[in-house]
Amino acid sequence: MIDVNAYLGHFAFRQLRHNTAAGLLELMDRAGIERAVVSSAAAITYRNAQAGNEEVAAEVKGHLERLLPFAVLNPAYAGWQDDLKTCREEFGMRGLRLYPRWHKYRLSDPSCLELVNAAAARGMAVSIPVRVEDRRQQSWLVDVPDVDLEEIAGLVKACPQAQFILVNGSGFISSSLGRKASGLPSNYVIDISLVTAVLADELGRLLGNLGEDRLVFGTGMPFHYPGPALAKLEVLEASDAVKEKIRRGNAARLLRL
Amino acid sequence: MPNRTSISRRTFVGSLAGAACLRAGFSAGAKVIDCHDHLAHHSRASWQEDDRKLIDAADKLGIDQLCCSILSPRRPATPEAFRECNQWMAEAMRRFPGRILGYCFVNPGYGREAPEEIRRCVEDRGFIGIKLYNDYVAREPVVWPVVELAISLRVPILHHAGHATWLSQPQPRISDGGHFAELSRRYPEAMLICAHISGGGDWEWTIKALRNAPSVYLDTSGSVVDEGVIEMAARVLGAERLLFGCDGSLTASVGRMRSASLSDADKRKILSGNFERILSRRGAK
Repeated sequence: MIDVNAYLGHFAFRQLRHNTAAGLLELMDRAGIERAVVSSAAAITYRNAQAGNEEVAAEVKGHLERLLPFAVLNPAYAGWQDDLKTCREEFGMRGLRLYPRWHKYRLSDPSCLELVNAAAARGMAVSIPVRVEDRRQQSWLVDVPDVDLEEIAGLVKACPQAQFILVNGSGFISSSLGRKASGLPSNYVIDISLVTAVLADELGRLLGNLGEDRLVFGTGMPFHYPGPALAKLEVLEASDAVKEKIRRGNAARLLRL
Repeated sequence: MPNRTSISRRTFVGSLAGAACLRAGFSAGAKVIDCHDHLAHHSRASWQEDDRKLIDAADKLGIDQLCCSILSPRRPATPEAFRECNQWMAEAMRRFPGRILGYCFVNPGYGREAPEEIRRCVEDRGFIGIKLYNDYVAREPVVWPVVELAISLRVPILHHAGHATWLSQPQPRISDGGHFAELSRRYPEAMLICAHISGGGDWEWTIKALRNAPSVYLDTSGSVVDEGVIEMAARVLGAERLLFGCDGSLTASVGRMRSASLSDADKRKILSGNFERILSRRGAK
């Protein structure tokens, strides 16, 4: 299995366990997860996100076969062009993670489009976490809404050459991102970490609407337990071949593994 | 909807290769009771299909019994509304004997009708407990007669709960762990269940607020899948005070328990042992 939604380091508002490379690998072993895309949890609240990328780069040294680092960059912050180059060329980072609400910019901002296009030109995927925490438990210091799904739809349409991995989201089925024949390019995949799988069954409906190539396995570790995402695959009505694509195949194709 | 005459007994053996340790806590034949769930209100055109989906998912995930209530979509609930919900609940208990257990849902603001309905449901229809929502905060005196009746009937009260960090609370009369702690000091013999620690809100706050309220149980249900919640609850409160529940979030709730780093013995307590002990109180003299 490949987990497209994992993190390393500290988060400002809650103690995370298993947030070192060794800790995360142990958690992955227990869950049967072979590889995981990781990015800095600290960079979500660092002003200079590159410091978080440096921490992750140091942490994954010696584990690059299993931990696939992504860079957290803020297109509104000075020097992102230099940081992108460093993250790709020196740290071997395979993609970007964007936090437009935490870093206070819009996905439609020219600087964001420039960053996404620059990443795509370097062959880097672009991951957008729709949320970091459930809003009802956010610290009293912050009030950060989820990223609007139609804003993401606008970005995937504006950057058809980029490859997007949308994580930690739900409600896709009610947005153009989850609708059949929405007119959007098929340059994005959705991770299953927070989509429902039983009563509203967003997972099954997304599979029906988008097809078997557009869903990927993700947990949100170590913010989240891995078990819920695993249990979703158990209740999903789909063939083993389709489930295998979700577990591994789709992410492997997108990440060129 | 087909009748089900026996309880489905499944272990929590997952189908995914390599997840042996995740499965370990569930492979010892532990019975699994979901202490907090709901069947659909019959105003929903899809209620039968929704109930079927819930039970099918419970089958796949190895949940043996579901303790459910039906809530009225309009609240505060009137006596007509909660009686109707409980009537449907009684019918569901007959359709799925031993598989679906029922909570009697009432609004404690109806001082005559609520106790009457509780007595009818528990004494005549075999309901296993009382479900209170957010019509009143748990510490308000209007709730006390319901608590006293629950004590005399020896049934638990499952109470909606949450502690949001937001300054503006969309549910002005929602209860939290602090309210249950206060209520339990007045009624230490009551079996109070603080609902869904993973239902949204500051779960660390809730666990700490319940630390010194030893008679209050905490159910594990909800859609939030934050790592560590079960372990912290077990460490601070003790596994004896935790009850497995789903509240509609079956994969989240089962996955949370599978992933939690607890001993098999503690998982068995949470999955069914503690709730079986609660249920046995009704039959005790």
